[in-house]
Amino acid sequence: MVAFSNDPIPVDQLPRLRDDDFVAVDPRYLRGWLAGLALAAVVAVAVGSVVAAFVDQPLIPAAIAAVVLLGLAVAATLWVMELRRLGYQIREHDLSLRSGVIRHSVETLPFARVQHVNVTRGPVERLLGLATLDVSSAGPDITIPGLSEAEAARIKALVTERAGALEDDPHDDARDDACDDAHGDDPDVADDAS
Amino acid sequence: MIDLAVERRQSPLAVVFLALRTLRNIGLAQLAIIILFVVRGPFGGPLLVVPALLMLALGIVSAVAWWRYTFQLIDDELIVHKGILRDDRLTVPIDRIQSLAVEQELLHRITGLVKVQVDTAGSSDAEFTIDAIPRPVAEELERRAVTARVADAPAGDGVDEPAMSNTERTLVHHDTNRLLTAAVTASPLAGLVVLGPLLAALGQFGDDLPVDPPSVEADGVTWWWAPGAVLVALAFSVLLNLGRVFLQDWDLTLRAGPTSLRRTSGLLSRTSSASSIDRVQLVSTAQNPLQRQAGLRDVEVSTIGDGDLELVGLDDADVDEVRAAVGWGPERHLPLDRRVHPAEIWLATRNTTIVVGIAAGALGLVTGSGWAAVVLVVVPWKWWTTRRHVRNFRWSLTDALARTERVLSSATAQAAIHKANGVVVSQTIFERRRGLASVRLATAAGSIRIGMIPLGEAEAVRDVIVHAAETDRRPWM
Repeated sequence: MVAFSNDPIPVDQLPRLRDDDFVAVDPRYLRGWLAGLALAAVVAVAVGSVVAAFVDQPLIPAAIAAVVLLGLAVAATLWVMELRRLGYQIREHDLSLRSGVIRHSVETLPFARVQHVNVTRGPVERLLGLATLDVSSAGPDITIPGLSEAEAARIKALVTERAGALEDDPHDDARDDACDDAHGDDPDVADDAS
Repeated sequence: MIDLAVERRQSPLAVVFLALRTLRNIGLAQLAIIILFVVRGPFGGPLLVVPALLMLALGIVSAVAWWRYTFQLIDDELIVHKGILRDDRLTVPIDRIQSLAVEQELLHRITGLVKVQVDTAGSSDAEFTIDAIPRPVAEELERRAVTARVADAPAGDGVDEPAMSNTERTLVHHDTNRLLTAAVTASPLAGLVVLGPLLAALGQFGDDLPVDPPSVEADGVTWWWAPGAVLVALAFSVLLNLGRVFLQDWDLTLRAGPTSLRRTSGLLSRTSSASSIDRVQLVSTAQNPLQRQAGLRDVEVSTIGDGDLELVGLDDADVDEVRAAVGWGPERHLPLDRRVHPAEIWLATRNTTIVVGIAAGALGLVTGSGWAAVVLVVVPWKWWTTRRHVRNFRWSLTDALARTERVLSSATAQAAIHKANGVVVSQTIFERRRGLASVRLATAAGSIRIGMIPLGEAEAVRDVIVHAAETDRRPWM
């Protein structure tokens, strides 16, 4: 048999995932969102006043604009709260993400289960110098938005390195090849990088 | 001895299968419409050449596809060449084959050929089919795949001889009697799933149906009409289910080799699917009240990829055999001693009351009748089922996370914690106010969620699972 013991470990001696060890994402992420929402508010006001100037009953477009503004204000509040909670934590063997305002959640993904890591940068993110990190396993995935480019690259390298080091199966590079080839066979299966 | 290193083509009969697959991809309902269009539409006389030409083109394309499709096994790599215009080359290391299913459909049976479905990786759609090859070739391929996996297992794993893979032990075998009991006790509505595609097809060209649907005269309705219709529908459903189970699960057999499980069944088309035991992630069972009377259960063994094994009508001894095969003790040895907070009863009842109250109000306004209040009976029903659910819910955390529940039907699910691919602890607003939380263990094939437990307990469960996943070196796939 493989050397494997399964002695009980008292739960209080296990490494805990501590709430104050979470790292916040880049503040530019929140600023970007708020700027976007502010822009939307300006557009709403502008469109509302232009329309109000040209119709008989200016109260209706004004009311619609007010509702939109209220919605934007709620969204901004939620984003501020969300970003106050959004954080990640990297330990020796796993990666955790804390998120959610209405529904709090803490996801944990062991490095040994990581299948691939992706850094994506949309046009707005490029403008702000931000990036989104996608860590996928055969089961759930973790997506961390609002990282600075350097940070995302650093975490990606770290996760890849840790996942590789923990994999004790010598055939593992062979599996990746198989997946690549198989993917190449089917044009419908788009690369995740898109 | 069959030498797989030689580049092989499928049997020429594969042309037929390729053509059929293309047709199936177009869609049966669409095909029916096309045929109707051709038969009843403007195509007559010389225009009939068009469909004939299309059929010819289909034949030629399928023949080329067959000619271009070759496979060979070199240095433990399965290499498949295919593609009509492009040259696609697929290389699969044989020890990476997750499951290999050998099937025999009706047409195969007549010709003595088999179809092989190869599933390579759970997270991608890397899968391909060899449509028609002689059985010995398929068996050799299967033998090589299983042998590769055995050789791949950590040294001294208790598996000494690759040759052992040929000695399979039968865990479950259903005779006609058992199958009959399984079919009759299956959920009374299960048979109606067969009707789904049928109804969809009817809907597609329902306009073409020559008969007008019979109109129901209000005078003709008597008091026994509704219960009578329900009874007829039930009887019909049971019959359909009987047919379905006999076709699908005829001669259901589950065999275990040293590292793999294999399920075979089927009356007209014989299906065989195999999966390595290491890849089993989750085992769940379900039992409805009828099945409880008969002492039978449905079991699903979820594995990474497409190798899920569905087993109907197992008795307790069978279930123990299956559990032992994946390395677990009997279910009664699970502690299953923890409970969940009853707050869920209040939550479910409150939410249902709000939703149903609004619905009843709206219905009352629209119909102007007090009878709309009848829908409110949903509220006590929801209260009763949730209360029963909470009272009968048990879970436990050992080296497996397990849960069991029973309202009318009962269900259990269990996953080895070292196979966890991720753990989520979450709190809704409702849970947060009461210091409660949910914990979800996600494997590569399904997850187990325990809700409404104290936050501290959920976090402790998370820490135990994560620790096991990170330190336990036993294979997880």
